[in-house]
Amino acid sequence: MPDANPSVPQADTLLTDDDRSRLEGWLAAQAGASRVAVTADGALGGAANHAITLDVADGPQAGRHACVLRAELAGRVSASIGKRREFAALSAAFQAGVTAPEPLFVCDDPAILGPDFFIMRRVDGLGAGFAVVKGDAPQADLARALGRQLGRLHRLTPATSGLETLAPPPDCPAQEAVHQFRDWIGDVAQRDPVLAWGLRWLHVNAPLPGAIVLCHRDFRTGNYLVKDGALAAILDWEFAGFSDPMEDLGCFCARSWRFRRINREAGGIADRADFYAGYEETAGRKVDPQRVAYWETAAYLRWAAIALQHGRRHSSGAEPSLELALTGRMLPEIEMDLLRHLKSAAARAVTPVERIG
Amino acid sequence: MRTGPDAFALLDIAAATLRRDVLPHLPPDGRYTALMVANALAIAERELRGLDESGRAMLLALAPLYGEDADAALCGEELATRVDALQHRLCIEIATGAFDGDGQDTLMESLEAIVRARLAIANPKAAG
Repeated sequence: MPDANPSVPQADTLLTDDDRSRLEGWLAAQAGASRVAVTADGALGGAANHAITLDVADGPQAGRHACVLRAELAGRVSASIGKRREFAALSAAFQAGVTAPEPLFVCDDPAILGPDFFIMRRVDGLGAGFAVVKGDAPQADLARALGRQLGRLHRLTPATSGLETLAPPPDCPAQEAVHQFRDWIGDVAQRDPVLAWGLRWLHVNAPLPGAIVLCHRDFRTGNYLVKDGALAAILDWEFAGFSDPMEDLGCFCARSWRFRRINREAGGIADRADFYAGYEETAGRKVDPQRVAYWETAAYLRWAAIALQHGRRHSSGAEPSLELALTGRMLPEIEMDLLRHLKSAAARAVTPVERIG
Repeated sequence: MRTGPDAFALLDIAAATLRRDVLPHLPPDGRYTALMVANALAIAERELRGLDESGRAMLLALAPLYGEDADAALCGEELATRVDALQHRLCIEIATGAFDGDGQDTLMESLEAIVRARLAIANPKAAG
């Protein structure tokens, strides 16, 4: 069964010898060093992640640094914001004290490697969803820590400096999300009544705009690292953007990312109460369970839209891949999770808001 | 007309051989890829065997919404066309608000039956 984000080592095709010497020259200039040596340590999980070691000869960053190079993919999904913006979001989060890999260098000069890329410090830990949720006891402390980190992230707003390059905040995050999903899903919504109903439900029940903050937008088990049972780093910032803070909470609790620990509603690791409590410690706001339920519905539609895009990348011949093909075939599973959620008490409590004017 | 063994038999023996003779000798990365291949073969086999049955289950879920009886005799291309037409009609009605007020419970039952019919091919374990 395909994991959405498998940690499968892939052939390391990014760094040829020529690439490496261009990269070394560029890094030396960036680091203010007379020389930087780059050692390729192989491909990592997730597409276009490469483990590298930098040996910086001198200057303020002198020393040996274990790093990850994240490069832009040719066939990225529509939700992805590109490496420069990803670097900006990660930098802002890191500076705000969020547990994430330290971002070091970003490059948008096509003469260096071709695609845009950035380099961040490498963090050790377990990431694969099934491995993280393993174990008989719930991991309340981990869920609470993740809640705290998310609360800290959500203190960043469109006014935070460094975030100017991100897309401007939407007037109404919920209606904006519905527009995007409609666009990504396209004419499949005229053939698949489950997707049609999901989109309609999101439209009819869209909450009025409230707080708008920097959201991770893929905040879920599988996208953070755990070391010795403790949170080591939050990864994969490539979808970050301004939205309703409850979007990230809904995503974290969605069935799709519980990795068969279906009764541990917070990411397959613990109860919602643990995760919510951690969030309220740092966020400066209360969790709104109705809004979370709304955004959980959105999480299924978003994942369905992404699975459809993956399937199309294969079927169109653009990127023939068994993994993409099988991800496309996950659609009914995602839809079953959506329907189970819509039948839940939490989703039934969501009602259309009274609109003025 | 056709040379035996047939497509079902070939898929069967290909999947069994992969699991029995190939998988045990693979390193972890190759194992993951081989499991994906096995999964793809299994889906293809279920689709070859069960597409009509799945279509009839979908027809059974959709027809009552329109006060029609599901025609159990339909199969193949005709069945697929009928199911597609009913799904399209339902999509339009949903999008124009026909289920915003009443009828949501009936709709949800139909949608669940439709998804179950598709899961019977894509991933029977997820239907439970």
